Amino acid sequence: MALKARKAEEKLPVSPANDSVAASEISLYRNVLKIKEEHDLEELGISFWDAQTTIQWSYNADHYFHAASTMKLAVLIGVFREIDRGTLALDSPVHVRNRFTSIVNQETFMLDLASDADPDVYGHLGKTLTVRELAYWMITKSSNLATNLLVDVVTIESIQQALDELEIDGVRVLRGVEDQAAFDAGLNNEVTANGLQKMLRVIADRKAFSQEASDEMLKIMLDQQYRSGIPAGLPKAARVAHKTGNISTVHHDAGIVFLQGREPYVLVILTQFRAETGRGSAVAEVSRDIFNTLAGLTYE
Amino acid sequence: MSEPEPIKVVDACDLDDELRFLLKPGGMVLDAQKRRHRLPRYFYEIPSREAAMSIRLTQHFGLNEFTLVDLKEEQRLQEFPRYIPCAVRVLAFYLEQFRKDAGGSVHIAVNGGYRSPSHKLSEYATPHMWATAADIYRIGSTILKGKETIEKYNGIAEDSSDDLHVLPYGHVTGLNADDHVHLDLGYITVIPREISEDRMEVPQEKKPRFAFEDRRHVERRSPPVPEEGE
Repeated sequence: MALKARKAEEKLPVSPANDSVAASEISLYRNVLKIKEEHDLEELGISFWDAQTTIQWSYNADHYFHAASTMKLAVLIGVFREIDRGTLALDSPVHVRNRFTSIVNQETFMLDLASDADPDVYGHLGKTLTVRELAYWMITKSSNLATNLLVDVVTIESIQQALDELEIDGVRVLRGVEDQAAFDAGLNNEVTANGLQKMLRVIADRKAFSQEASDEMLKIMLDQQYRSGIPAGLPKAARVAHKTGNISTVHHDAGIVFLQGREPYVLVILTQFRAETGRGSAVAEVSRDIFNTLAGLTYE
Repeated sequence: MSEPEPIKVVDACDLDDELRFLLKPGGMVLDAQKRRHRLPRYFYEIPSREAAMSIRLTQHFGLNEFTLVDLKEEQRLQEFPRYIPCAVRVLAFYLEQFRKDAGGSVHIAVNGGYRSPSHKLSEYATPHMWATAADIYRIGSTILKGKETIEKYNGIAEDSSDDLHVLPYGHVTGLNADDHVHLDLGYITVIPREISEDRMEVPQEKKPRFAFEDRRHVERRSPPVPEEGE
């Protein structure tokens, strides 16, 4: 079953009688618009898919946003493609070095240690961490250094190849992180809510290259340490395998929500706002509304 | 203290096909300026991780410090027994002097010691392929980054010996260094006195050419007392 709210029609529809799903959709749509307005969001993108009910719901889900750190999910996919092909091992050592090459002018750049203080990775400068450790810190603490190291290992081309093989569109990965020359040239990683939802659904379905690879990715994502997005709108018992993304003007979260006694659902919430507005709690509020809607749904 | 095991020296021309292909003993390679250099042929054979850890080349430098690599090195060359050109001993000698002048422990980066000709960073010939170069990322507790720090230690290295070559601070890979101090001695080949040279470069399976280097004093191999912060 697929329900789709259209962003262009921002007038609230009238509730049809005796139709629980449709009524829930309208209620959800109304709440989402309210959150968007209350938080003064410039853009909001939502994509939802529930394995239990097969309900899909989306809002502005094909709009491209700056990916921020949600691009690290694509890097994770790229890493596990190479592992699945046998060209890389999770235990392979990688030299931890803060020196990267811009995609624009081929000049070298270093990450700002102060703004990405992840001692778990920086503490190993000059030494090695395994691919598994880098993947773990890339996702769970959003380490930019781990991300760029893994991008160097697997290459951007291989990451894009991995997305193509899994038929994931709506995710454009051009570069690693903190490539200022690329940013200045307008070359940024971009995602849509639907693109990330497809990626997470492939993992949730254990079809990301293999069941083993999917399980490994889920295990890492379940250890996410930043929980102010989707998890903040859920009961404490909920387990969420997810990845957040934050820069000065966007706050995203994309995750697979596991609740006891039911199949998981995939939820992607992308928000964009003016820098002076700040990120607020819009993502958590949308997550709560989706959960409440699902909980109150009588589905036949 | 018991006498440590002598180090085995092998003629790499006698190694198996895969190792000969990866190490290219006696092969010719071009550097970035298109100058030709002949790769080393005589290597120390390191039988195990424990041996790599226990063999001291000088008071403060163990053999393992020159063999740290990551996935850029061929997997086979990360497996024991491992091989490293005998000139590493000369490098260790110079690093010991540099360490004294720098006034702190010298930490060689991963991929900053010996790199085989098959290593992904071995696009052109560099002294790393002779085990006569070291990329140092930390001295004492100082992480080497930034112009001032790198130029300071480059100066100490150059004052330490005219034999030591450094890469100036800058951002062009191969010509400069911006996150380490690069020291090298050029393309030195060492043939330990214990081994008999043989002009035949085909493998000698029935009578492989090797010897045991046994000329080090026990006390010089003893591990040092760790310094604070090491």
